[in-house]
Amino acid sequence: MNISLRRHAGWLVAGTLITGLAGCGSSKTAASPSSAATTAPAAVTTAGAAGGGAAGAGITIAVNPWTGSAVNANVAKIVLESKLGTPTTLKDLDENVTWPGMDAGDVDAVLEVWPSGHSADMKTYIDEKKSVVNLGLLGPKAKIGWYVNSAALAADPKVATWEGFKDAATAKKFSTAASGELGQFLMGDPSYVSFDEQIIKNLKLPLKYTVAGSEAALITAITQAETDKKPLLLQFWQPHWLQTRVKLTEVKLPAVTPECLKSADAKDGNYACDYAVDNLFKAASAKLATKNPKAAAFLTKLSLTTEQQSTIAAYIDGDKMTPDAAAKKWVDANADVIKGWLA
Amino acid sequence: MAVVTAPRLAGTANPMVRRWGGPVAAFLAFVVAWKLANRGGLTFGDTPTWIDAHIKPWFDQLYKWIVRNNTKNWLFTGFLTPISHALRWVVSGKNDNVGVLWVLHTLRWPGVLALVGVVGAKTGGRRAAIVGVLTLAGCGVLGFWDATMVSLALMVVSVAISVLIGVPVGIWAGLSDRAEKAIKGILDTAQVLPAYVYLLPAVVLFGIGNAGAVVATVIFAVAPAIRLTSLGIRNVPVVANEVGTAFGSTRLQLLKKVQLPMARRAMLLGLNQVIVMAFGILVLAAVVGAGGLGQAINEGLRKNDVGLTFVPGVCIVLAAIALDRITTGERKASSSSRFQTLLPSATHRLVTAVIAVLGVALIAKLVGASSFPKSWQIKTAKPVNSFVNWINNHIRKGVPLIGGTGTIDDVLVRDLLIPLRNTFQYVAWWLTVVIVAFIGWLSGGKKLALLCGFCMLGIVSLRMWDLAMDTLSQVLVAVLISVALAIPIGILAGRSNAVERALRPILDAAQVLPPFVYLVPVAFLFHVGPVPGVIASVIYALPPGIRLTSLGLREVSYATREAAISFGATPRQELFKVQLPLAFRSVMLGINQTILMVFSMVIISALIGAGGLGLQAVYGLTKKEIGTGVAGGMSIVLLAIVLDRLTQAWGSRSGVDPSRSV
Repeated sequence: MNISLRRHAGWLVAGTLITGLAGCGSSKTAASPSSAATTAPAAVTTAGAAGGGAAGAGITIAVNPWTGSAVNANVAKIVLESKLGTPTTLKDLDENVTWPGMDAGDVDAVLEVWPSGHSADMKTYIDEKKSVVNLGLLGPKAKIGWYVNSAALAADPKVATWEGFKDAATAKKFSTAASGELGQFLMGDPSYVSFDEQIIKNLKLPLKYTVAGSEAALITAITQAETDKKPLLLQFWQPHWLQTRVKLTEVKLPAVTPECLKSADAKDGNYACDYAVDNLFKAASAKLATKNPKAAAFLTKLSLTTEQQSTIAAYIDGDKMTPDAAAKKWVDANADVIKGWLA
Repeated sequence: MAVVTAPRLAGTANPMVRRWGGPVAAFLAFVVAWKLANRGGLTFGDTPTWIDAHIKPWFDQLYKWIVRNNTKNWLFTGFLTPISHALRWVVSGKNDNVGVLWVLHTLRWPGVLALVGVVGAKTGGRRAAIVGVLTLAGCGVLGFWDATMVSLALMVVSVAISVLIGVPVGIWAGLSDRAEKAIKGILDTAQVLPAYVYLLPAVVLFGIGNAGAVVATVIFAVAPAIRLTSLGIRNVPVVANEVGTAFGSTRLQLLKKVQLPMARRAMLLGLNQVIVMAFGILVLAAVVGAGGLGQAINEGLRKNDVGLTFVPGVCIVLAAIALDRITTGERKASSSSRFQTLLPSATHRLVTAVIAVLGVALIAKLVGASSFPKSWQIKTAKPVNSFVNWINNHIRKGVPLIGGTGTIDDVLVRDLLIPLRNTFQYVAWWLTVVIVAFIGWLSGGKKLALLCGFCMLGIVSLRMWDLAMDTLSQVLVAVLISVALAIPIGILAGRSNAVERALRPILDAAQVLPPFVYLVPVAFLFHVGPVPGVIASVIYALPPGIRLTSLGLREVSYATREAAISFGATPRQELFKVQLPLAFRSVMLGINQTILMVFSMVIISALIGAGGLGLQAVYGLTKKEIGTGVAGGMSIVLLAIVLDRLTQAWGSRSGVDPSRSV
């Protein structure tokens, strides 16, 4: 009897403590994760969830692993939360995983899609399944191309155009132990769109196409070549944060022609020209329009110029600001631009 | 002994042929091919196109069907979607306001540490409690408390599910030979198949974030739970089982009262391995949106900042150690802490522990200690970066005599890796299949010959032959280097307690530290290409080789060694004539584990320029070419199975059995 009383007393104390802890759990200051994916404060989130289909329904925006993507998403988050009362969660996600995410409605929008890498996704999810919608252009244009470092130009200025590589002796300056007599052509992440193998073959260049395997490996190779002052030829793109640190010069490839683009679509292996310019666009889950029409309308209108985007990116990559602080700094200074998006 | 075994081995007259025939034949065949391949001239054609299992189109079709139907078909809406919701809810919910993460947030950091201490004290005594609390607090000191909690929530759920699945299946496999056989192949596949292959399908089936991540982690980490539970039950002495039966136990009683308690040690080792493997997948989990420490590593990788990847990497190691110590702590039977003597009733202790944890959490709440105190945190990214820079500038080139790592890279590529790859690719595919089957026959008889032959044919039918030969050449070089390093170091550790103690934390870290952390420094020291992959594989695969060599030496009974010494053996003779031969099986098991671990690095190597099968498997995620990913991944599995079974056969064919030597 006595023991059982004491036992009950113990559980009673425990129960009281739990109530004390959990009872006002929603008022806890939300722990702020150190990464870019900051969750909205708990209280706001709960209000948003309770709102259901109302204008304030919380949304999730994907942040893909590059600075531009973090810039757009953080700017949108600030405006969505301060002007539209829409609690916004940012989710760090691989770009390929973003599409099934939007398909299921787990991700509501992604603000920077590079079309060159996602033609299959666009066909599957936008055209066929209609579970993802195109929200229009973001503004900035991107360009994939062949690049050489300054050591390459110093060694032989001919490499500023593709014709320079026709000369076997010039190409040999780019050789490595693995490429032997041929010059090495380095490609980074295998998931990125690449016609380089076809270009090399069709232009009959004495180059060996080599896959570095990841963007990290590619950047490692670039920094290594910079330290060693060794010539390097690679596929790279603009905008990229490294372009502000390391001087990379785009190699002039044969101009883009309609036939060339046709052979890209037909996958006939005859591609032999430069890369076309990528018009970055925004996409959203088809469910967003009913879930939060105001947010959908805003995201459709949202656009940044190349200059605006790189200003904010420089805050992050150059001044080492966090993405949310960088976005806030720019949003505070550009009220008129924001007003335009909301009009 | 030879006389006794000879009649059993029908087919080969001499047991020496059995034992050494495989390796010798492999070596001879190889020397001939090397000569021919690197002389040029006659070449054989590609694998014939009619041998094609059509795996690629089949899986591409399947994936397409899933994508089209995952919102309509009952399989998804009625079955998988509820599972996915449940998983997500248990970990953290959509907004981190439910599940395990909510508990961790509500307890706040003092409460979480108190919980770790209490659980550790319960399972492993004071030591486990202290180690657990200190390691987890270390994550806070390094400035990653919140990210650690996100990852910890995912890990706790994944490990729990792995155990919930692993233990029953393991019991079944331990009790039934047929089940054991049926499961073995599946477990091998699950352990070697790169997670890249099934990550995207897991996302399409279960959704982004924690749900997909939990599924992928469980697939990857469940194998050791099954294996070691089964092993533990099988190792219960026959006598114990018979005594149980003689006293009239039912099968269930026998299992509950005899077999499971006696298998406890093996099962705890299984839990330890589950934890180690589960934490290894955190970086990939972040790719599908699980956030946490993996995300921090990915961000560092993207910025090519070694310091930024290193610190969260260390936090993964610390968190894994914390979880491991408080769950697998083996409490000594006699230890009774003061806590236990003060409160004799188990219920009392439980209630007191709960009150203590909640009390700490409530005080933390009242004091307002929400996030880990800033003043306790230290910044380590900068010193790490300057250390790495120093190494890069001083080790890569300009070292007297050897020239530096850059030179080593060139030599390895030009004189070893490329000729070796040429050799394997040069030999006609059918001849290679025959040779491998023949080696199998010499090593383990008809059954092994068939298995090896079929696996190699399987690679042909997956249309991956040339890439498989490329990968094989790199894997073999990595295994050779690992073994050449592991055995001497293992011998040192086996003979000296000081060396063993000094090595243990390094080996632990090498096994748990995600390879992504040292990927960039290794790639920078060497050149992006096959060599960094080989080096990273060696780092990752060394620990089991060292550990099992050392274990083998230490298991040689003292009486045997004593006898050798009393017969006047020098320390050298004692090592080479007594200890090493008796440790042969353990050393072979170490080599075997090394091979499997090198294979599990094929993917990572592909991310720093190794190409081969790994790159194909990566396409499964990054290019959404599921079919290519599956074909590449399956080829890796088949190659690994061939090498695994061959080395296992060489190990078990040894005439000396250490367990019988006493």
